[in-house]
Amino acid sequence: MLNWIWGIMVLMGILYGLICGNAGVLSAGMMDSAGDAVTLIIKMAGGFMLWNGLFEILEQSGAAKAIAGAMKPILGKLFRGVKTEESMTAMTMNLTMNMLGLGNAATPMGLRAMESLQRESDYGDSTSPAMCMFLVINASSIQLLPTTVLTLRRAAGSFMPEAVIWPTLCATAVSTLAGIFFCKLFEKGDKRLWKS
Amino acid sequence: MEIVMPCVVFFIIGFGLLKRVNVYDAFIKGAKNGLNTAIAILPSMGAMMVAVALLKESGLMAALVNVLAPVFALVGIDENAAPLMLMRPFSGSASLAILNSIFLTHGADSRAGLTASALMGSTETIFYTLSIYLAAAKVKKGRYAVAAAMLAWLFGGIAAGLFYK
Repeated sequence: MLNWIWGIMVLMGILYGLICGNAGVLSAGMMDSAGDAVTLIIKMAGGFMLWNGLFEILEQSGAAKAIAGAMKPILGKLFRGVKTEESMTAMTMNLTMNMLGLGNAATPMGLRAMESLQRESDYGDSTSPAMCMFLVINASSIQLLPTTVLTLRRAAGSFMPEAVIWPTLCATAVSTLAGIFFCKLFEKGDKRLWKS
Repeated sequence: MEIVMPCVVFFIIGFGLLKRVNVYDAFIKGAKNGLNTAIAILPSMGAMMVAVALLKESGLMAALVNVLAPVFALVGIDENAAPLMLMRPFSGSASLAILNSIFLTHGADSRAGLTASALMGSTETIFYTLSIYLAAAKVKKGRYAVAAAMLAWLFGGIAAGLFYK
């Protein structure tokens, strides 16, 4: 899937750039962005280390078990077929941190959840229903307070920076609910393929 | 909000010690996993960032905005906020730059500024999120995840547009 999306993105970009005579910018852009990825991962690696280290303590102390048990009645309905407390706890932490807008902690826990969900998945090299749902909810944003946008608005001299909080919350609720709805819908359609 | 993080860490370590866990060893073990994840997702992240850079630098993104702006206007998205609608699923940093330029050109309290603010928060950087999450799980086929995420983006955008119609 990403195979085609990525391939087409690259080809279209190069083709359009060549037609418009932007070939020089293209080479610089490719090298710079590849380098940016390395810089970004170095910046993020600290958070990965910190939160995965803390997560291990949660597991060994039995706190993960308690969190998973408490969240199962709520999240179990949304994420079907989640088996381990590791998945449940990592998903809970990811969703909570995302709501609070703590992206630096949310991402490592989200990836941890994906690794764990894959270990218990029966779907081979395809995403399980729980993974699809988790991916889409993460992609649709569930942040309660758009802190970065508010900071930018204040800096730009807005007279009512907070006026956008309610509309943003509504828009993100609509996007998340739409994501959940389409996940459930597509899962039903896709199920037939998996039974054979 | 800034007290959340220290308190969470305090609770995790404190509870660990109470339960007689060797918190130091456990932390090192987990941290090692975390570093492996960081390295595991780097190639996918690089691939996605190169593709997005090509779309931006070639001028294709800007051309697409011109074509799609009238379509977005149909659902109430201000034409000056349309570039953000298109960039949002691809790049977080480029979206922030566009948002800021909308604020500076049209004003943060203008219709374009308000719509753009709601658009920015309505969804995450879909392609980036998908690529690193799939890479971490070492999964190749995302099945319908992209389609559902793009529909979520569309509905979020429409909701933001309707608010400031």
